[in-house]
Amino acid sequence: MIAAAAVQLLGGLLLGPLLVGSIQTAKARLQGRRGPSPLQPYRELRRLWGKSAVDPDGAGPLYELAPPLVAAATAIAVLVVPVAGVPSPWGFGDDAIVLLALLAVARFALTASAWDTGTGFGLMGAARDLTIAVYVELLAVLAFVVAAIPAASTSLAAMSDAADGWEPWSSAGHWCAAIAFAVVIVAETGRQPVDNPDTHLELTMIHEGPLLEYAGRDLALLQWSAAARHWIFLVVGAELFLPHSGGLWLRLGSLVIGLAALVAALAITETAQAKMRILRVPGLLLACSLIATAGVVATVGGVLA
Amino acid sequence: MRREGSPARPRLEYVAATSWRGEVERALARGLRFRCAYAGGEGERSWSALFGDGHEELLLRTFASGDVPAVDSVVDLVEAADWDEREAHDLGAIEFEGRASTRPLLDHSQPSSAWAVPVAGAGVNQVAVGPVHAGIIESGHFRFHVVGERILHVDPQLFYKHRGLERAAEGMRPAAGIAIAQRACGACAVTNSVAFAQACESMLGSVVDEPTRRARTLLIELERLYNHLHDIAAICAGVGFAAGNMAFANLKERALTVNRLLSGHRFLFGSVALGGNEIVPGAPAVEEARARLSELGADIAAAWRALDFAATVQVRLTGAGVLSRERAEELGAVGPAARASGVERDARTYAPLLHYPAFRQARIDRPSGDCSARLRVRAAELATTLETLDDLLQGGVEAGSAVQRANADGAADVGAAVVEGPRGETVCVVEGDGARLRRFHLRTASYANWPALAAATAGELLPDFPLINKSFELCYACVDR
Repeated sequence: MIAAAAVQLLGGLLLGPLLVGSIQTAKARLQGRRGPSPLQPYRELRRLWGKSAVDPDGAGPLYELAPPLVAAATAIAVLVVPVAGVPSPWGFGDDAIVLLALLAVARFALTASAWDTGTGFGLMGAARDLTIAVYVELLAVLAFVVAAIPAASTSLAAMSDAADGWEPWSSAGHWCAAIAFAVVIVAETGRQPVDNPDTHLELTMIHEGPLLEYAGRDLALLQWSAAARHWIFLVVGAELFLPHSGGLWLRLGSLVIGLAALVAALAITETAQAKMRILRVPGLLLACSLIATAGVVATVGGVLA
Repeated sequence: MRREGSPARPRLEYVAATSWRGEVERALARGLRFRCAYAGGEGERSWSALFGDGHEELLLRTFASGDVPAVDSVVDLVEAADWDEREAHDLGAIEFEGRASTRPLLDHSQPSSAWAVPVAGAGVNQVAVGPVHAGIIESGHFRFHVVGERILHVDPQLFYKHRGLERAAEGMRPAAGIAIAQRACGACAVTNSVAFAQACESMLGSVVDEPTRRARTLLIELERLYNHLHDIAAICAGVGFAAGNMAFANLKERALTVNRLLSGHRFLFGSVALGGNEIVPGAPAVEEARARLSELGADIAAAWRALDFAATVQVRLTGAGVLSRERAEELGAVGPAARASGVERDARTYAPLLHYPAFRQARIDRPSGDCSARLRVRAAELATTLETLDDLLQGGVEAGSAVQRANADGAADVGAAVVEGPRGETVCVVEGDGARLRRFHLRTASYANWPALAAATAGELLPDFPLINKSFELCYACVDR
């Protein structure tokens, strides 16, 4: 129990940048480059933390409050995400809807900061992020519904337990939800083909857009939050939609394998795929919503039968 | 009558200010294309426009009249002259009469309402990009008028680092001026220097021998090789396709090492001299380069196949940033960008001062004018370029020199040259008395194509602009000369 709580806390707070760094390194290797070490994001955070923050002229309180708000919401979200099916002991519960709400708070704070400064790139990125969020949140809810029905609960720990063993994989609904959640991971972590985390092309940015004005510690907080989102979504994906079974240590072991598999999958997807034309992204997400809806129908049908 | 192998020397015709428009119309009606226009040469009031078709070059000249020097504008006849007139206006030389407006082009002192096209309506916003960018690019500002993600119109504001190179070359000896022409742009160093050298030789009445022609052709094609590879890599980066970007960046790097082997410089600097050939690599180096290029050619073909089958890339390129053939012709677009729109024109098909004995213009199946077509044109041209390079290297590279023109009509005041560089036709005009340059004007392919890029952008999505921009991949330095 204590081990699970420790992994949840330390992993969530500290290992997000490692996931991002590992994806970067894997991508570099796949492209024939040596690339930076997986620890590079930590060096970046240390560098940014040591610099002073510079605010643009006319920046108001919304702009100044956004980085701590985003980081706080993300940190609480980390505490909500259980590992190895052990309920979170931190007093925030482990409800899937609470998780989505916390991430929505973070998104809202960042959007408000873009609106505060009114810069073109920030507003464009935030507007695109919100547009896509409408579809992604729907998709995430549908995937959670499929996982929640067998558990008869929206607790992430209960959902994870219900997905234990091979039995869930005989249900068509589980497969549909797994596919849907894979796309949620790609969209929510800002990865290709939805967004390109490596781009320097301002006009194409989604998640990076509102970050352009930030510097120093503010930027460090926002970059840590983006890395922690990787932890949140990859862990939830592995806990709910990747095979796992057995006791605590076996479950922790399969989580590590699951995270490695997801990191590899993201790196391969991002190497093999170009970014989508932005107006086609809602189409992709809606198509996945149909798959997820089919999953809901199949699962409900399975329960009723 | 000109003899075979002797290039067109521009015929200078003086035109009264009152009949300027009529003469321009007549030149166009004869099938000559507008190439460039510039102020200066014979005093500050002199205003000249070059027309040509490769076989005949006609330089019309008039003198601005009035207290404030003014000439009739011809933009309604030749849209391609728009930038030339605006540039001359901003450099303080000449007013143009009959234009709806002469928006500032080089002059950055005025607010955007003065230089950007006015756009109004519900939901129309302006998005300003640059001149400082998040990546390592040259300085350029783009003012987009958008509704949502849709671009209504874009005004590029370039000329942030105008160096006054044309003015700097005035008074120099032609042989010294070549350094100025070369430094106009790093990626087009050979094209610009060969254009300058040929223009000076045309003025001085000399013709270079075959070894020099072969060496210059070799250099131009080496420049095209690495530029096209770079452009393909850039297009991949424009859609976030890192695998293609890295593969072609790697191929470009290998092309640069061949450049170094043959010329001593990765970007071929200092390899073109007036009236001769500067590079004389030894036979082993030539053999080595030939072997490396043949290997490179095989790898380019493989990388291109992989890219051609990358569906997520192709779907982004198809239909994006369409430049219609009509617009390409009207705006005077040149090079791969024009050929992608179906304009079958390549200065290499008739280039008596270079060595293209059996040149076939590369053609693509569907010249649809979109990003896909611009990419495919470059891939097709790479094959031609590699063939030409192999053919040239097989014959070896020797020292060369210039001889006085065989059908000598002697030296003249004016010389001009048109060279097909990686981005298209680059035009150079020089004026002088043989010993000293009086005027040097360089109209690069990028200069001709920037308005075409703006035209291709209208109606597209804002996040597609970087891709469309990279599918043209124009130089900023080439216009900031």
